[in-house]
Amino acid sequence: MTTPPDLAARLTDIVGARGVLTRSSELVVFRSDGLPGYSKHPRLAVFPRTRDELIAIVRLLAEHRVPFVPRGAGTGLSGGALADDVVLIGLNRLTRILSIDPVERLAVVEPGVVNVALTRAATPYDLHYAPDPSSQAACTIGGNVAENAGGPHCLKYGVTLNHVRAITAILPDGDIVRLGNADGEADGYDLLGAFVGSEGCFGIALDVTVRLSPNPQAIRTLLADFTSIDAAARATSDIIASGIVPAALEMMDGPTIRAVEASIYAAGYPVDADAILLIEVDGLAAGLETDVARIEAMCTHAGARTVRIARDDAERARLWQGRKKAFGAMGRVSSHLVVQDAVIPRTRLPDVLAKIHEIAERQRITVCNVFHAGDGNLHPNIGYDANDPDEHERVQVAMREIMAACVAAGGTITGEHGIGLDKLDYMSLIFSNDSLAAMCRLREVFDPDRRANPGKVVPVHSCREWHGAPRSSWSA
Amino acid sequence: MDAPRALGVTTRTDSVAAADGQQSALRPTNVAAVRDIVRDAIDHETRLRIVGRGTWLDAGRPVTDAQALSLDALSGIIDYTPGDLTLTARAGTTLAEISAATAAHGQWLALAPWGGDAGSLGATAATATAGPMSGALGTPRDIVIGLEAVTGTGDVVRGGGKVVKNVAGFDLTRLMVGAWGTLGILTEVSVRLRALPEREATVAVAAPNAAPPLSDLLTRLRSAAVAPLAAEILSASLAARLGLGDGALLLVRLAGNAEVVAAQRDALHALAEATDIGSDVWNTLRGSDAGESTTIRFSSSVARFPELWASANRLASSGGGHAHGSVLRSVCRVVLPDVEGTLPVAVLDLLRAGTRDVRIFERLPAPLWSSLAPSPVGDRLSRGVRNAFDPRELLNPGILGEDRT
Repeated sequence: MTTPPDLAARLTDIVGARGVLTRSSELVVFRSDGLPGYSKHPRLAVFPRTRDELIAIVRLLAEHRVPFVPRGAGTGLSGGALADDVVLIGLNRLTRILSIDPVERLAVVEPGVVNVALTRAATPYDLHYAPDPSSQAACTIGGNVAENAGGPHCLKYGVTLNHVRAITAILPDGDIVRLGNADGEADGYDLLGAFVGSEGCFGIALDVTVRLSPNPQAIRTLLADFTSIDAAARATSDIIASGIVPAALEMMDGPTIRAVEASIYAAGYPVDADAILLIEVDGLAAGLETDVARIEAMCTHAGARTVRIARDDAERARLWQGRKKAFGAMGRVSSHLVVQDAVIPRTRLPDVLAKIHEIAERQRITVCNVFHAGDGNLHPNIGYDANDPDEHERVQVAMREIMAACVAAGGTITGEHGIGLDKLDYMSLIFSNDSLAAMCRLREVFDPDRRANPGKVVPVHSCREWHGAPRSSWSA
Repeated sequence: MDAPRALGVTTRTDSVAAADGQQSALRPTNVAAVRDIVRDAIDHETRLRIVGRGTWLDAGRPVTDAQALSLDALSGIIDYTPGDLTLTARAGTTLAEISAATAAHGQWLALAPWGGDAGSLGATAATATAGPMSGALGTPRDIVIGLEAVTGTGDVVRGGGKVVKNVAGFDLTRLMVGAWGTLGILTEVSVRLRALPEREATVAVAAPNAAPPLSDLLTRLRSAAVAPLAAEILSASLAARLGLGDGALLLVRLAGNAEVVAAQRDALHALAEATDIGSDVWNTLRGSDAGESTTIRFSSSVARFPELWASANRLASSGGGHAHGSVLRSVCRVVLPDVEGTLPVAVLDLLRAGTRDVRIFERLPAPLWSSLAPSPVGDRLSRGVRNAFDPRELLNPGILGEDRT
């Protein structure tokens, strides 16, 4: 990129010396996100503390046509927040909750607000922010918006997009736009729907208006343990087909259970099980025990050895902690980790899990499965040593084979982690050239120069010119 | 224009094209034929009026001087595995066909949009038409998980997929749902389904007309142990029309297992003077618009619903029509008969007065569109999006009031 020689000084004028990092030793922590396998070095990093500073930064970069990458907490799992020799804009200092309206059940937040901090702030009103990615103790709402993040409870309550009512965004050229409407229906094209999940390629949210959900009257959490993955997968399919919509329905396999139980996050899972299901139902208290009994019966029928129901909030929290920290626990097992995020039709769970097992055996690698079984969102994790070239190669082959198996089953390549850098090569498995070109054109509406998060989401070679009208005819 | 000699196109001269003038409608039977029609339209600069099943052609601004393209022959369910709770159908498939196929497996497309089941899935998605359950279960923007469309550049594109959770690529699905066909002709739509509720009940509560007591009732409803599938308030005129007595009513639809339905029913009876009525009222209500010319939606923040309802009611009574309002979403719909192609002066005065509420016009007498309904796609980004997908503005030109200069 061609940056003006005094860019760092100009940015320092905006945010002060403590808000700009230029030295390699300072920038090293931004070389990767939640995936340790990537290393991309930003040219410099800038950290606005206020909305006005952020606006001034984006406008300065626009003036000099400098590419940039927005970054929240850097917990993403697709390499989406990596800046390859361009400017990184860190949004994690924009942490103000601007308002909470308990009557409208809405909150307005800056992009750097940590997911769980919003739920904490809403707790006095008996409300919560429903999307709960496993990284919720660290990840930001702005990052969640960029990725259209999910989480275990999205099975019943929907993903980030279902909870965002409006966004004020700054476009890469410095224009400020309002998307969606928090005070009534939004008319016209669903630009909010296009922006949420655009992985930082369409602009940066200055503020986000989100829906807060009432806390359920009652919650029951069940732990069912199985001696085969297949039996757990069949129980999952039965529960989904029964019409009960659990708040969450998560599966962990034997290797994952043992990694968690060996870690500080030990949750009391049965270490000799081949799979467990963590199932939560919530809502009105009336009738809930009937649903619990039906789920228990379905698990037992599918072959569960035991079904345990959490006795109190403390036990429930412990069961969830093990699930949400499972990725962290795997850090004990190996130095490097790759994770897939494919989603498959739910009836295909048993045969796709068997296929993944077969691929792992053939490639002599260990796959840990910990995932959102209820909506078919798989997370096969492969721990390995990246310094061993042979193992590294086998892991890469296995990843491609697993993805191909999921796509062949009618699935998609990412359910909640995003494309980023990590899944760019898989895009052509599910989208035609014409569809990819259409996505490029959509991006260019928001960012004609493709300066925001360059090189992510859609492979560059797909961005051929359409036979549409020239760009200049619509610029305002 | 001459009918393209594309494979899979049939034409006919009967009623399909009636609403759009003299020309017969093109009736493609597969996506390749739709693509060829659009490419031919590009070559001949022919504007296309996209028609689903033709049940709701008076909705949206008039599309003039356009060749009708009907999707009624592009019909049928393509993929339905009940255990996945998803379904994919061609755009012209009627909601009735989907309803029959899913009910056989104890499932439903839990959308029940206004207007009934004779309309097509494609048109429902293209217009993002919602119904009384959308506050609890989502609008088409939440329920459609994937689609295939032919853009105004003659490209066949796909967004989303057939699974319930998907963030792959930029979201063409969200963009096209509710775009009224102006970004692409929808040819295939995938939706999420739900299991039919084990039990259902509908409770009617007498609704006060004045804002303060209504506000009080809704506050108590919100804090009660009920999680309704729908809560719809009906004007006295609408209640009378449906044979439900002569006062305004709040209808609350409850669903779930036997215990939770019974408990919620009891909670409602404890809350106010309530009557149990049959749940078939919801189907009657959906079809209650037929014959009128004007439908206007008003929406606001939740706290303002009582005032919103009061003004919707005022408008309905001054125009001799009826109103209903979805409490959970704070959206009211007013349906009025027209008088010789216009609306009564009292109604026009109310509509011309300023308001802080959102107004979305579904149907209006043709001459009133330009003065009452500013285009929702006049902003820079919306114009850019249109230009990216239909740069020649061939698809349903003018239906969103876009500036065609």
